[in-house]
Amino acid sequence: MTKWYMLSGKENDVAVSSKVSLARNLRNHVFTSRLSAEEKEQIAREVTEAVSRQLPDKMITTHMEELTPYAAISLAERNLVSPEFVSVREGRTFLMTPDESLSLMICEEDHVKIQALLPGLELGRSFELADRMDTLLDEALGFSFDPKLGYLTQCPTNIGTAMRGSVILQLPAMRILGRVRNLSTTVSRLGLILTGAYGEGDSPTGSLYLLTNQVTLGISEEAALQNLESLALSILEQEREARKELMENLQFQDMLWRSYGTLKSARVMNFQEFMEALSVVKVGIAAGEFDLPMNTVNELIFAMQPATLNTEAGRPLDRQERDALRAEKVRAVFA
Amino acid sequence: MLCQNCGRNDATTHIKRIVDGESTELHLCSSCASHLGYAGLFTGFGGGIGSLLSRFFPEAALPPAEDVERCPGCGASFDEIVRSGTMGCAECYDIFYDRLKPSLSRIHGRATHVGKTSFTTDDRSERRAELRRLEEERNEAVRKEEYEKAAVLRDRIRELRGETK
Repeated sequence: MTKWYMLSGKENDVAVSSKVSLARNLRNHVFTSRLSAEEKEQIAREVTEAVSRQLPDKMITTHMEELTPYAAISLAERNLVSPEFVSVREGRTFLMTPDESLSLMICEEDHVKIQALLPGLELGRSFELADRMDTLLDEALGFSFDPKLGYLTQCPTNIGTAMRGSVILQLPAMRILGRVRNLSTTVSRLGLILTGAYGEGDSPTGSLYLLTNQVTLGISEEAALQNLESLALSILEQEREARKELMENLQFQDMLWRSYGTLKSARVMNFQEFMEALSVVKVGIAAGEFDLPMNTVNELIFAMQPATLNTEAGRPLDRQERDALRAEKVRAVFA
Repeated sequence: MLCQNCGRNDATTHIKRIVDGESTELHLCSSCASHLGYAGLFTGFGGGIGSLLSRFFPEAALPPAEDVERCPGCGASFDEIVRSGTMGCAECYDIFYDRLKPSLSRIHGRATHVGKTSFTTDDRSERRAELRRLEEERNEAVRKEEYEKAAVLRDRIRELRGETK
Protein backbone atom coordinates (compact mmCIF):
# COMPACT_ATOMS: atom_id res chain seq x y z
CA MET A 1 0.00 0.00 0.00
CA THR A 2 1.31 3.43 -0.93
CA LYS A 3 1.49 5.68 2.12
CA TRP A 4 1.01 9.43 1.95
CA TYR A 5 4.70 10.07 2.73
CA MET A 6 5.84 8.18 -0.37
CA LEU A 7 4.09 10.69 -2.61
CA SER A 8 5.46 13.92 -3.96
CA GLY A 9 4.10 17.14 -2.42
CA LYS A 10 4.33 20.85 -3.19
CA GLU A 11 7.51 22.69 -2.10
CA ASN A 12 8.95 19.40 -0.88
CA ASP A 13 12.56 20.57 -1.10
CA VAL A 14 11.86 22.29 2.24
CA ALA A 15 8.34 21.33 3.37
CA VAL A 16 8.25 17.65 4.39
CA SER A 17 4.63 17.32 5.46
CA SER A 18 1.50 19.23 6.42
CA LYS A 19 -0.95 18.23 9.10
CA VAL A 20 -4.30 19.57 10.25
CA SER A 21 -5.92 18.23 13.44
CA LEU A 22 -9.34 18.94 14.91
CA ALA A 23 -10.09 18.12 18.55
CA ARG A 24 -13.69 17.17 19.26
CA ASN A 25 -15.75 15.93 22.21
CA LEU A 26 -19.03 14.06 22.11
CA ARG A 27 -21.99 15.68 23.81
CA ASN A 28 -23.41 13.85 26.82
CA HIS A 29 -20.04 12.50 27.95
CA VAL A 30 -17.62 14.02 30.48
CA PHE A 31 -14.15 14.82 29.15
CA THR A 32 -11.54 12.10 28.72
CA SER A 33 -9.63 12.35 32.00
CA ARG A 34 -12.88 11.75 33.93
CA LEU A 35 -14.06 8.82 31.80
CA SER A 36 -14.26 5.28 33.17
CA ALA A 37 -12.83 2.38 31.16
CA GLU A 38 -16.38 1.37 30.14
CA GLU A 39 -17.21 4.88 28.95
CA LYS A 40 -14.01 4.98 26.90
CA GLU A 41 -15.01 1.73 25.27
CA GLN A 42 -18.44 3.10 24.56
CA ILE A 43 -17.06 6.24 22.92
CA ALA A 44 -14.68 4.17 20.81
CA ARG A 45 -17.62 2.03 19.74
CA GLU A 46 -19.83 5.03 18.90
CA VAL A 47 -17.10 6.68 16.82
CA THR A 48 -16.03 3.48 15.06
CA GLU A 49 -19.63 2.63 14.20
CA ALA A 50 -20.30 6.13 12.89
CA VAL A 51 -17.18 5.96 10.72
CA SER A 52 -18.00 2.55 9.28
CA ARG A 53 -21.61 3.59 8.60
CA GLN A 54 -20.48 6.65 6.67
CA LEU A 55 -17.32 5.27 5.09
CA PRO A 56 -17.62 1.49 4.98
CA ASP A 57 -14.26 -0.33 4.75
CA LYS A 58 -12.34 2.91 4.54
CA MET A 59 -10.59 2.84 7.90
CA ILE A 60 -8.52 0.33 9.85
CA THR A 61 -9.29 0.10 13.57
CA THR A 62 -6.44 -0.56 16.02
CA HIS A 63 -6.79 -1.07 19.76
CA MET A 64 -3.58 0.49 21.01
CA GLU A 65 -3.07 -2.03 23.84
CA GLU A 66 -2.98 -4.90 21.33
CA LEU A 67 0.04 -3.49 19.49
CA THR A 68 3.63 -4.49 20.24
CA PRO A 69 5.52 -1.61 21.88
CA TYR A 70 7.51 -1.07 18.68
CA ALA A 71 4.43 -0.94 16.47
CA ALA A 72 2.87 1.61 18.84
CA ILE A 73 5.98 3.79 18.92
CA SER A 74 6.29 3.53 15.16
CA LEU A 75 2.91 5.28 14.89
CA ALA A 76 4.33 8.18 16.91
CA GLU A 77 7.50 8.26 14.82
CA ARG A 78 5.41 8.61 11.72
CA ASN A 79 3.61 11.55 13.32
CA LEU A 80 0.28 9.70 13.42
CA VAL A 81 -0.19 9.69 17.20
CA SER A 82 1.26 11.72 20.06
CA PRO A 83 3.94 10.32 22.39
CA GLU A 84 1.31 10.73 25.11
CA PHE A 85 -1.08 8.41 23.24
CA VAL A 86 1.65 5.74 23.14
CA SER A 87 2.77 6.07 26.75
CA VAL A 88 -0.60 4.92 28.14
CA ARG A 89 -2.33 2.62 25.69
CA GLU A 90 -5.24 1.16 27.69
CA GLY A 91 -8.65 2.31 26.49
CA ARG A 92 -7.26 4.04 23.45
CA THR A 93 -8.29 3.30 19.89
CA PHE A 94 -6.75 4.49 16.65
CA LEU A 95 -8.40 4.57 13.23
CA MET A 96 -6.63 5.27 9.97
CA THR A 97 -7.07 5.00 6.23
CA PRO A 98 -4.73 2.45 4.57
CA ASP A 99 -2.57 5.27 3.15
CA GLU A 100 -2.39 6.81 6.69
CA SER A 101 -3.40 10.26 5.42
CA LEU A 102 -6.59 10.47 7.50
CA SER A 103 -6.70 9.18 11.07
CA LEU A 104 -8.57 9.43 14.35
CA MET A 105 -7.13 9.20 17.85
CA ILE A 106 -9.91 8.19 20.23
CA CYS A 107 -9.64 9.17 23.91
CA GLU A 108 -6.34 11.00 23.68
CA GLU A 109 -6.68 14.39 25.38
CA ASP A 110 -10.11 14.85 23.82
CA HIS A 111 -12.66 12.22 22.80
CA VAL A 112 -11.74 12.39 19.13
CA LYS A 113 -8.85 13.96 17.31
CA ILE A 114 -9.28 14.02 13.56
CA GLN A 115 -5.98 14.32 11.71
CA ALA A 116 -5.07 14.72 8.07
CA LEU A 117 -1.47 14.38 6.92
CA LEU A 118 -0.16 15.08 3.43
CA PRO A 119 3.31 15.43 1.90
CA GLY A 120 4.75 18.88 1.18
CA LEU A 121 2.93 22.15 1.83
CA GLU A 122 -0.72 21.14 1.56
CA LEU A 123 -2.57 22.78 4.44
CA GLY A 124 -5.69 23.55 2.39
CA ARG A 125 -6.14 19.98 1.21
CA SER A 126 -5.33 18.57 4.64
CA PHE A 127 -8.01 20.78 6.14
CA GLU A 128 -10.56 19.64 3.55
CA LEU A 129 -9.90 16.00 4.46
CA ALA A 130 -10.22 16.61 8.21
CA ASP A 131 -13.19 18.94 7.75
CA ARG A 132 -15.17 16.38 5.77
CA MET A 133 -14.63 13.72 8.44
CA ASP A 134 -15.60 16.24 11.12
CA THR A 135 -18.88 17.07 9.37
CA LEU A 136 -19.75 13.38 8.98
CA LEU A 137 -19.05 12.61 12.63
CA ASP A 138 -20.80 15.74 13.87
CA GLU A 139 -23.94 14.79 11.95
CA ALA A 140 -23.83 11.27 13.35
CA LEU A 141 -22.73 11.93 16.94
CA GLY A 142 -23.04 15.62 17.80
CA PHE A 143 -20.03 17.47 19.23
CA SER A 144 -19.80 19.78 22.26
CA PHE A 145 -20.01 23.29 20.93
CA ASP A 146 -20.78 26.74 22.27
CA PRO A 147 -21.62 29.62 19.90
CA LYS A 148 -19.27 32.00 21.75
CA LEU A 149 -16.46 29.59 22.69
CA GLY A 150 -16.60 27.31 19.67
CA TYR A 151 -15.69 23.63 20.02
CA LEU A 152 -15.25 22.82 23.71
CA THR A 153 -12.10 20.93 24.62
CA GLN A 154 -10.69 19.42 27.78
CA CYS A 155 -7.86 21.95 27.83
CA PRO A 156 -9.07 25.56 27.53
CA THR A 157 -6.06 26.48 25.40
CA ASN A 158 -7.65 24.63 22.46
CA ILE A 159 -11.23 25.97 22.42
CA GLY A 160 -12.62 27.80 19.40
CA THR A 161 -11.76 26.07 16.17
CA ALA A 162 -9.84 23.47 18.25
CA MET A 163 -7.68 23.20 15.18
CA ARG A 164 -3.92 22.86 14.88
CA GLY A 165 -2.25 23.19 11.54
CA SER A 166 1.42 22.33 11.29
CA VAL A 167 4.12 22.04 8.69
CA ILE A 168 7.38 20.14 9.09
CA LEU A 169 10.14 22.21 7.50
CA GLN A 170 13.68 21.00 6.93
CA LEU A 171 15.99 23.98 7.37
CA PRO A 172 19.60 22.71 7.26
CA ALA A 173 21.03 25.83 5.57
CA MET A 174 19.39 28.31 7.93
CA ARG A 175 20.57 26.27 10.88
CA ILE A 176 24.15 26.04 9.63
CA LEU A 177 24.15 29.80 9.02
CA GLY A 178 22.68 30.41 12.49
CA ARG A 179 19.49 32.04 11.26
CA VAL A 180 16.88 29.89 12.98
CA ARG A 181 17.02 31.61 16.36
CA ASN A 182 16.00 34.99 14.93
CA LEU A 183 13.34 33.28 12.93
CA SER A 184 11.76 31.70 16.06
CA THR A 185 11.44 35.14 17.63
CA THR A 186 9.72 36.58 14.56
CA VAL A 187 7.43 33.57 14.31
CA SER A 188 6.26 33.83 17.92
CA ARG A 189 5.48 37.53 17.44
CA LEU A 190 3.10 36.47 14.67
CA GLY A 191 1.25 34.10 17.01
CA LEU A 192 2.80 30.93 15.62
CA ILE A 193 5.35 28.54 17.10
CA LEU A 194 8.52 27.08 15.61
CA THR A 195 10.03 24.11 17.49
CA GLY A 196 12.23 21.13 16.74
CA ALA A 197 10.13 18.33 15.23
CA TYR A 198 12.37 15.58 16.66
CA GLY A 199 14.54 16.40 19.64
CA GLU A 200 14.66 19.78 21.30
CA GLY A 201 16.74 22.87 21.90
CA ASP A 202 18.95 24.56 19.35
CA SER A 203 19.82 21.50 17.30
CA PRO A 204 16.77 19.39 16.44
CA THR A 205 17.53 16.11 14.68
CA GLY A 206 18.00 16.54 10.93
CA SER A 207 17.18 20.27 11.11
CA LEU A 208 13.50 19.36 11.08
CA TYR A 209 11.29 22.09 12.51
CA LEU A 210 7.59 22.15 13.23
CA LEU A 211 5.68 25.35 12.45
CA THR A 212 2.30 25.44 14.23
CA ASN A 213 -0.55 27.88 14.78
CA GLN A 214 -1.14 28.85 18.39
CA VAL A 215 -4.40 30.82 18.48
CA THR A 216 -7.65 28.88 18.14
CA LEU A 217 -10.26 31.33 19.42
CA GLY A 218 -11.30 34.38 17.42
CA ILE A 219 -9.73 33.30 14.15
CA SER A 220 -11.37 31.08 11.53
CA GLU A 221 -9.80 27.85 10.29
CA GLU A 222 -9.16 29.34 6.85
CA ALA A 223 -7.54 32.51 8.22
CA ALA A 224 -5.34 30.58 10.65
CA LEU A 225 -4.17 28.22 7.91
CA GLN A 226 -3.56 31.10 5.52
CA ASN A 227 -1.31 32.79 8.09
CA LEU A 228 0.52 29.54 8.60
CA GLU A 229 0.92 28.90 4.90
CA SER A 230 2.18 32.39 4.05
CA LEU A 231 4.71 32.26 6.87
CA ALA A 232 5.80 28.78 5.77
CA LEU A 233 6.28 30.11 2.22
CA SER A 234 8.38 33.00 3.47
CA ILE A 235 10.58 30.67 5.56
CA LEU A 236 10.86 28.39 2.53
CA GLU A 237 12.24 31.27 0.45
CA GLN A 238 14.72 32.20 3.18
CA GLU A 239 15.92 28.61 3.36
CA ARG A 240 16.34 28.46 -0.42
CA GLU A 241 18.40 31.67 -0.34
CA ALA A 242 20.54 30.28 2.46
CA ARG A 243 21.09 27.07 0.48
CA LYS A 244 22.28 29.05 -2.54
CA GLU A 245 24.79 30.88 -0.35
CA LEU A 246 26.04 27.63 1.13
CA MET A 247 26.51 25.96 -2.23
CA GLU A 248 29.13 28.64 -3.03
CA ASN A 249 31.09 27.79 0.09
CA LEU A 250 33.98 25.31 -0.16
CA GLN A 251 33.68 24.20 3.44
CA PHE A 252 30.02 23.37 2.89
CA GLN A 253 30.83 21.57 -0.38
CA ASP A 254 33.20 19.38 1.60
CA MET A 255 30.55 18.70 4.23
CA LEU A 256 28.01 17.92 1.48
CA TRP A 257 30.20 15.33 -0.26
CA ARG A 258 31.27 13.75 3.02
CA SER A 259 27.62 13.42 4.04
CA TYR A 260 26.81 11.91 0.67
CA GLY A 261 29.67 9.48 1.18
CA THR A 262 28.21 8.45 4.53
CA LEU A 263 24.77 7.76 3.06
CA LYS A 264 26.28 5.94 0.12
CA SER A 265 28.81 3.80 1.93
CA ALA A 266 28.24 3.49 5.70
CA ARG A 267 27.71 -0.04 7.03
CA VAL A 268 26.30 0.99 10.42
CA MET A 269 24.33 4.19 10.86
CA ASN A 270 22.33 5.43 13.83
CA PHE A 271 19.23 7.55 13.29
CA GLN A 272 20.87 10.78 14.39
CA GLU A 273 23.80 10.38 12.03
CA PHE A 274 21.51 9.40 9.19
CA MET A 275 19.26 12.42 9.66
CA GLU A 276 22.15 14.88 9.88
CA ALA A 277 23.73 13.54 6.68
CA LEU A 278 20.37 13.47 4.91
CA SER A 279 19.53 17.08 5.80
CA VAL A 280 22.86 18.25 4.33
CA VAL A 281 22.57 16.09 1.21
CA LYS A 282 19.08 17.50 0.61
CA VAL A 283 20.70 20.88 -0.05
CA GLY A 284 22.76 19.23 -2.79
CA ILE A 285 19.75 17.42 -4.26
CA ALA A 286 17.75 20.65 -4.37
CA ALA A 287 20.69 22.33 -6.17
CA GLY A 288 20.78 19.52 -8.75
CA GLU A 289 24.13 18.18 -7.57
CA PHE A 290 22.70 14.69 -6.97
CA ASP A 291 19.95 13.17 -9.04
CA LEU A 292 17.39 11.76 -6.63
CA PRO A 293 13.64 12.41 -6.32
CA MET A 294 12.88 14.56 -3.28
CA ASN A 295 9.92 12.41 -2.20
CA THR A 296 12.16 9.33 -2.00
CA VAL A 297 14.45 11.25 0.33
CA ASN A 298 11.56 12.59 2.44
CA GLU A 299 10.08 9.12 2.71
CA LEU A 300 13.29 7.94 4.42
CA ILE A 301 12.75 10.46 7.24
CA PHE A 302 9.78 8.36 8.35
CA ALA A 303 10.83 4.92 7.16
CA MET A 304 14.29 4.94 8.82
CA GLN A 305 13.04 5.78 12.33
CA PRO A 306 14.15 3.22 14.94
CA ALA A 307 10.86 1.62 15.99
CA THR A 308 9.52 1.80 12.43
CA LEU A 309 12.54 -0.19 11.18
CA ASN A 310 12.01 -2.69 13.95
CA THR A 311 8.33 -3.07 13.09
CA GLU A 312 9.14 -3.62 9.46
CA ALA A 313 11.79 -6.22 10.25
CA GLY A 314 9.03 -8.11 12.06
CA ARG A 315 11.27 -9.13 14.97
CA PRO A 316 13.11 -7.35 17.77
CA LEU A 317 16.46 -6.03 16.57
CA ASP A 318 19.25 -4.95 18.86
CA ARG A 319 20.75 -1.54 18.29
CA GLN A 320 23.57 -2.72 16.07
CA GLU A 321 21.34 -4.89 13.89
CA ARG A 322 18.99 -1.97 13.51
CA ASP A 323 21.75 0.47 12.58
CA ALA A 324 23.11 -2.03 10.08
CA LEU A 325 19.67 -2.53 8.53
CA ARG A 326 19.27 1.23 8.27
CA ALA A 327 22.63 1.62 6.56
CA GLU A 328 21.72 -1.16 4.13
CA LYS A 329 18.39 0.41 3.20
CA VAL A 330 19.92 3.87 2.83
CA ARG A 331 22.75 2.52 0.66
CA ALA A 332 20.16 0.93 -1.61
CA VAL A 333 18.72 4.42 -2.26
CA PHE A 334 21.97 6.37 -2.59
CA ALA A 335 24.28 3.88 -4.28
CA MET B 1 11.90 14.85 41.68
CA LEU B 2 14.77 16.98 40.49
CA CYS B 3 15.06 18.50 37.04
CA GLN B 4 16.88 16.12 34.69
CA ASN B 5 18.57 18.97 32.91
CA CYS B 6 20.07 21.10 35.70
CA GLY B 7 19.67 18.65 38.60
CA ARG B 8 19.05 21.55 40.99
CA ASN B 9 15.39 22.63 40.92
CA ASP B 10 12.22 20.60 41.40
CA ALA B 11 10.84 19.21 38.16
CA THR B 12 7.43 20.71 37.39
CA THR B 13 7.08 19.99 33.69
CA HIS B 14 6.73 16.37 32.59
CA ILE B 15 7.05 15.63 28.92
CA LYS B 16 6.40 12.33 27.21
CA ARG B 17 8.45 11.83 24.11
CA ILE B 18 9.88 9.24 21.77
CA VAL B 19 13.67 8.94 21.71
CA ASP B 20 15.50 6.36 19.64
CA GLY B 21 12.53 4.06 19.35
CA GLU B 22 11.60 4.17 23.03
CA SER B 23 8.85 6.02 24.85
CA THR B 24 10.47 8.10 27.60
CA GLU B 25 9.57 10.84 30.04
CA LEU B 26 11.49 14.03 30.55
CA HIS B 27 11.20 15.86 33.87
CA LEU B 28 12.25 19.50 33.87
CA CYS B 29 12.11 22.55 36.12
CA SER B 30 10.29 25.52 34.67
CA SER B 31 13.43 27.42 33.74
CA CYS B 32 15.01 24.48 31.90
CA ALA B 33 11.64 23.75 30.26
CA SER B 34 11.55 27.27 28.95
CA HIS B 35 15.22 27.16 27.93
CA LEU B 36 14.68 23.93 25.98
CA GLY B 37 11.64 25.39 24.29
CA TYR B 38 8.92 23.47 26.13
CA ALA B 39 7.22 26.19 28.14
CA GLY B 40 4.27 28.08 26.84
CA LEU B 41 3.83 25.91 23.82
CA PHE B 42 1.84 22.86 23.06
CA THR B 43 3.02 20.87 20.10
CA GLY B 44 -0.34 19.71 18.95
CA PHE B 45 -2.86 18.70 21.53
CA GLY B 46 -1.75 16.42 24.30
CA GLY B 47 1.85 17.58 24.10
CA GLY B 48 1.97 16.77 27.80
CA ILE B 49 2.08 20.41 28.77
CA GLY B 50 -1.52 20.52 29.97
CA SER B 51 -0.50 20.70 33.59
CA LEU B 52 1.35 23.92 32.88
CA LEU B 53 -2.02 25.47 32.35
CA SER B 54 -2.43 26.17 36.04
CA ARG B 55 -0.05 29.05 35.55
CA PHE B 56 -2.70 30.65 33.36
CA PHE B 57 -4.93 30.95 36.41
CA PRO B 58 -2.86 33.04 38.85
CA GLU B 59 -5.91 34.85 40.24
CA ALA B 60 -7.59 31.66 41.39
CA ALA B 61 -7.76 31.65 45.15
CA LEU B 62 -8.61 28.47 47.03
CA PRO B 63 -12.25 28.58 48.01
CA PRO B 64 -13.22 27.34 51.49
CA ALA B 65 -13.61 23.55 51.61
CA GLU B 66 -17.31 23.66 52.46
CA ASP B 67 -19.74 25.37 50.15
CA VAL B 68 -17.73 24.64 46.99
CA GLU B 69 -19.65 25.04 43.80
CA ARG B 70 -19.49 21.91 41.67
CA CYS B 71 -20.34 21.33 38.04
CA PRO B 72 -23.61 19.34 37.85
CA GLY B 73 -22.31 17.62 34.70
CA CYS B 74 -19.18 16.02 36.12
CA GLY B 75 -18.79 17.13 39.74
CA ALA B 76 -15.62 19.14 39.19
CA SER B 77 -14.98 22.24 41.31
CA PHE B 78 -13.24 25.29 39.88
CA ASP B 79 -10.29 24.56 42.15
CA GLU B 80 -9.89 21.09 40.63
CA ILE B 81 -10.00 22.57 37.15
CA VAL B 82 -7.26 25.05 38.02
CA ARG B 83 -5.06 22.42 39.63
CA SER B 84 -5.37 19.89 36.81
CA GLY B 85 -5.44 22.46 34.02
CA THR B 86 -8.28 20.51 32.43
CA MET B 87 -12.02 21.05 32.31
CA GLY B 88 -14.22 18.20 33.57
CA CYS B 89 -16.88 18.38 30.88
CA ALA B 90 -18.52 20.76 28.42
CA GLU B 91 -20.88 22.05 31.12
CA CYS B 92 -17.93 23.31 33.18
CA TYR B 93 -17.46 26.07 30.61
CA ASP B 94 -21.01 27.21 31.31
CA ILE B 95 -21.00 26.91 35.09
CA PHE B 96 -17.57 28.53 35.64
CA TYR B 97 -17.68 30.90 32.68
CA ASP B 98 -17.32 34.13 34.68
CA ARG B 99 -14.30 32.85 36.55
CA LEU B 100 -12.73 31.42 33.41
CA LYS B 101 -13.20 34.49 31.30
CA PRO B 102 -10.11 36.49 32.38
CA SER B 103 -7.88 33.45 31.81
CA LEU B 104 -9.48 32.68 28.47
CA SER B 105 -8.84 36.23 27.30
CA ARG B 106 -5.26 35.96 28.48
CA ILE B 107 -4.72 32.74 26.52
CA HIS B 108 -6.70 33.66 23.44
CA GLY B 109 -6.84 37.44 23.29
CA ARG B 110 -10.32 37.84 21.86
CA ALA B 111 -12.86 35.57 23.42
CA THR B 112 -15.44 34.91 20.70
CA HIS B 113 -15.49 32.00 18.29
CA VAL B 114 -15.12 32.61 14.56
CA GLY B 115 -15.18 29.73 12.07
CA LYS B 116 -16.91 26.41 11.61
CA THR B 117 -20.01 25.75 13.69
CA SER B 118 -21.34 22.42 14.88
CA PHE B 119 -24.62 20.83 13.87
CA THR B 120 -25.45 20.89 17.55
CA THR B 121 -26.01 24.66 17.65
CA ASP B 122 -29.62 25.78 17.35
CA ASP B 123 -29.74 26.88 13.74
CA ARG B 124 -27.77 23.81 12.77
CA SER B 125 -30.14 21.45 14.56
CA GLU B 126 -33.01 23.11 12.72
CA ARG B 127 -31.08 22.57 9.55
CA ARG B 128 -30.57 18.95 10.51
CA ALA B 129 -34.31 18.48 11.09
CA GLU B 130 -34.93 20.11 7.71
CA LEU B 131 -32.42 17.73 6.13
CA ARG B 132 -34.15 14.71 7.65
CA ARG B 133 -37.53 15.96 6.35
CA LEU B 134 -36.17 16.54 2.83
CA GLU B 135 -34.46 13.16 2.77
CA GLU B 136 -37.73 11.45 3.68
CA GLU B 137 -39.58 13.40 1.00
CA ARG B 138 -36.93 12.46 -1.54
CA ASN B 139 -37.13 8.76 -0.64
CA GLU B 140 -40.90 8.98 -0.92
CA ALA B 141 -40.59 10.63 -4.35
CA VAL B 142 -38.17 7.93 -5.53
CA ARG B 143 -40.56 5.25 -4.28
CA LYS B 144 -43.41 6.84 -6.28
CA GLU B 145 -41.05 7.14 -9.26
CA GLU B 146 -41.43 10.95 -9.29
CA TYR B 147 -37.85 11.41 -10.41
CA GLU B 148 -38.04 15.08 -11.34
CA LYS B 149 -39.30 15.93 -7.89
CA ALA B 150 -36.62 13.71 -6.37
CA ALA B 151 -33.91 15.51 -8.35
CA VAL B 152 -35.10 18.89 -7.08
CA LEU B 153 -35.11 17.56 -3.54
CA ARG B 154 -31.66 16.04 -4.01
CA ASP B 155 -30.27 19.43 -5.11
CA ARG B 156 -31.92 21.12 -2.14
CA ILE B 157 -30.34 18.53 0.21
CA ARG B 158 -26.92 19.05 -1.34
CA GLU B 159 -27.30 22.78 -0.97
CA LEU B 160 -28.23 22.48 2.71
CA ARG B 161 -25.26 20.23 3.30
CA GLY B 162 -23.07 22.84 1.66
CA GLU B 163 -22.00 20.37 -1.03
CA THR B 164 -22.71 22.58 -4.05
CA LYS B 165 -19.92 25.08 -3.43
